[in-house]
Amino acid sequence: MNLTLVPISGKAKIKEINHPFLRTKLLEMGVTLGNEVTITMRAPFGGPIAFRCGNSIISIRLEDAHHIMVN
Amino acid sequence: MNIFLFGNPNCGKSTLFNLLTGLRQKVGNFPGVTVEKKTGVFSLHEEKHTLIDFPGVYSIYPKSQEELVVYEALKEIHSSVEPRVGVVVVDASNFERGLFLFSQLADLGIPLVLVINMIDLAERNGITIHLDALKNELKHTPIAVMNARVGLGKDRLLNALAKQIKEQKSESYFAINSTLYESEAIAQQEAEAINRQQSIKNMGESVVGKKEREVKKSKLDWWLTHPIIGYALFALILLVMFQAVFTLSSYPMDAIEWLFQRIAVGCAAWIPAGVFQDLICAGILPGISGVLVFIPQIALLFFFIALLEDSGYLARAVFLMDRLVRPFGMNGRSVVPLLSSMACAIPGIMATRGIPNSKERLITLFVAPLMSCSARIPVYTLLISVVIPKQRLFGIVQLQGLVLFALYILGIISALGIAFILHRILKQTTRSLYLMEIPDFKPPHWRNIFTTIIEKIKVFTLEAGGIILALSIVIWGLSNYGPTEERAEAITQLKTENVYKKGNALEKTQLESAVLLEHSFLGKFGKTIEPAIAPLGYDWKIGIAISSSFLAREVFVGTLSTIYAHDEASGSFRLREKLMHEMHADGTKKFTLASGISLMVFYVFALQCLSTMAVARRETGSWKIPLAQLFLYGALAYVSALICFHFF
Repeated sequence: MNLTLVPISGKAKIKEINHPFLRTKLLEMGVTLGNEVTITMRAPFGGPIAFRCGNSIISIRLEDAHHIMVN
Repeated sequence: MNIFLFGNPNCGKSTLFNLLTGLRQKVGNFPGVTVEKKTGVFSLHEEKHTLIDFPGVYSIYPKSQEELVVYEALKEIHSSVEPRVGVVVVDASNFERGLFLFSQLADLGIPLVLVINMIDLAERNGITIHLDALKNELKHTPIAVMNARVGLGKDRLLNALAKQIKEQKSESYFAINSTLYESEAIAQQEAEAINRQQSIKNMGESVVGKKEREVKKSKLDWWLTHPIIGYALFALILLVMFQAVFTLSSYPMDAIEWLFQRIAVGCAAWIPAGVFQDLICAGILPGISGVLVFIPQIALLFFFIALLEDSGYLARAVFLMDRLVRPFGMNGRSVVPLLSSMACAIPGIMATRGIPNSKERLITLFVAPLMSCSARIPVYTLLISVVIPKQRLFGIVQLQGLVLFALYILGIISALGIAFILHRILKQTTRSLYLMEIPDFKPPHWRNIFTTIIEKIKVFTLEAGGIILALSIVIWGLSNYGPTEERAEAITQLKTENVYKKGNALEKTQLESAVLLEHSFLGKFGKTIEPAIAPLGYDWKIGIAISSSFLAREVFVGTLSTIYAHDEASGSFRLREKLMHEMHADGTKKFTLASGISLMVFYVFALQCLSTMAVARRETGSWKIPLAQLFLYGALAYVSALICFHFF
């Protein structure tokens, strides 16, 4: 399952990110494989989603979030 | 010495920069790009140091244009032997993430000072930093724990800086790698990042204490991003903001114009009459006034933008709007600059600085002048009152109001249309991901807001004001000077005319100015371009008004009333009636529906504003963009006006 399918307030553990550029970027932002994230916001009409990881909230466009696999 | 300021986005770096440098700062661009470069000066132990603020980044490896700037600068710093100190600001609540950047910089051999900022917030979140354990790990880096928003820990920072400035101690703490990989070497970067994360995690276990507690669920974000309530609230905030900008700024704007008129009158009294008096009182003083008059709008708009930004709301609004403007190659961040341009494109273009992606920023900046600004209102209302009949459509809709509304919509639609085309044409220069951190809500920090306002005013007056002043003096000169003999003859001719003989003193002066304007260089220019603008339904009088309104669109109305002062046909002195009764030689009306609409549409598109050009030049660093806007929108205005004139 990818991150876009997690409902608001839902928790998920990051399993894999199928996009080296995004994977490295998220790594640098402190989001690593195995981290637990919580979806905090969803913009209407297919806009970005936001998730909490540790103490920060990161927003990401749906097209990029598709690459983040969770369980 | 040069001191470099690094840190993640939202780590309180700007607050710290403002705390150290106060108002002694300069804002420019990094060479060749539109990324903001702030430098400031501060003294420490009688010695002056330059603080250079780099954009907020997560890593030294570039994944955005901001990071590319830091990467390029680091390559230079890395190879230089000059003494320098880097200050790395770390948000205490996201300590490990900040340490990631810190360790990369440390490994490059730069002497560093570590600032652990926003310690109060972290403690509230149940996070403690064991300073002794940390000092054990980082033996040679002075550490300052701070809360920059309230100025807490400033002395600790200055002491740490003094120590590092003297000692220049650098040490590679993680010794993973001290080379700067090529920006394309993603695989190496990733491998290094994984190693680095692991070392930091191991270290973090002894340094960072976390009390597990449930993050309190904030309902606020749910409301703010609600499909109906979220948009309604954003619309409401914008409405209040623009109402305030419109109404509140008019008082200081009137005051500035009044003051300069008084000064001009005063100067005229003690400077002997002649060219010099004219230059000072009619050229330079109104020119300065024409620059300063923008300051109230800039100050008010940036007060609101800084308030929304600093409190954390803007990030939510950007999140909400991103999807709507993305098809047009823009970013959620483009919405506020675009809508601000409906008040005035000057602050609107200056506000595009907040857009991180360079392509999205360029598109927003490029189309901003198409949004109908408040300077077009006098032009629209005059022309509407002349050519659009005062009647109701279907008994309810006021036709004149509908036309005004249509002109605004035309501006918005064409802005989006051009943006869409540019989005297709322009190539993405840097690979870019929309990954934005959404900061927590916090009470706005007044010093930050105040500094932003002062800085924007400074940039506008000092860097765009000079060009605006110079060009407005040129246009003033062209409209006030002309071939001397011809002008003298024209005046002699005027004095034989009946309308002049019968007129009172005021009417005589108005007639003289009309004749003098007609025979000025600008007047000659207006007549020369008549064949070119005749297909649009305009004559040389409108030609003059259009040329002079390049200063600012509302000048169109003033110039027309000057020219029409010399108009024998009409008995009235009111401009509107004169325009309505203006006839061609063959007895047909000059201002018809067709020529009126053609002229209004011309003003929707044409970049008739040299201040906009000066600001666009300042923001992009060259004349390329403003000239492209001038010619493209000029051509668009011409063609649309031509079509309208023949269609109606």
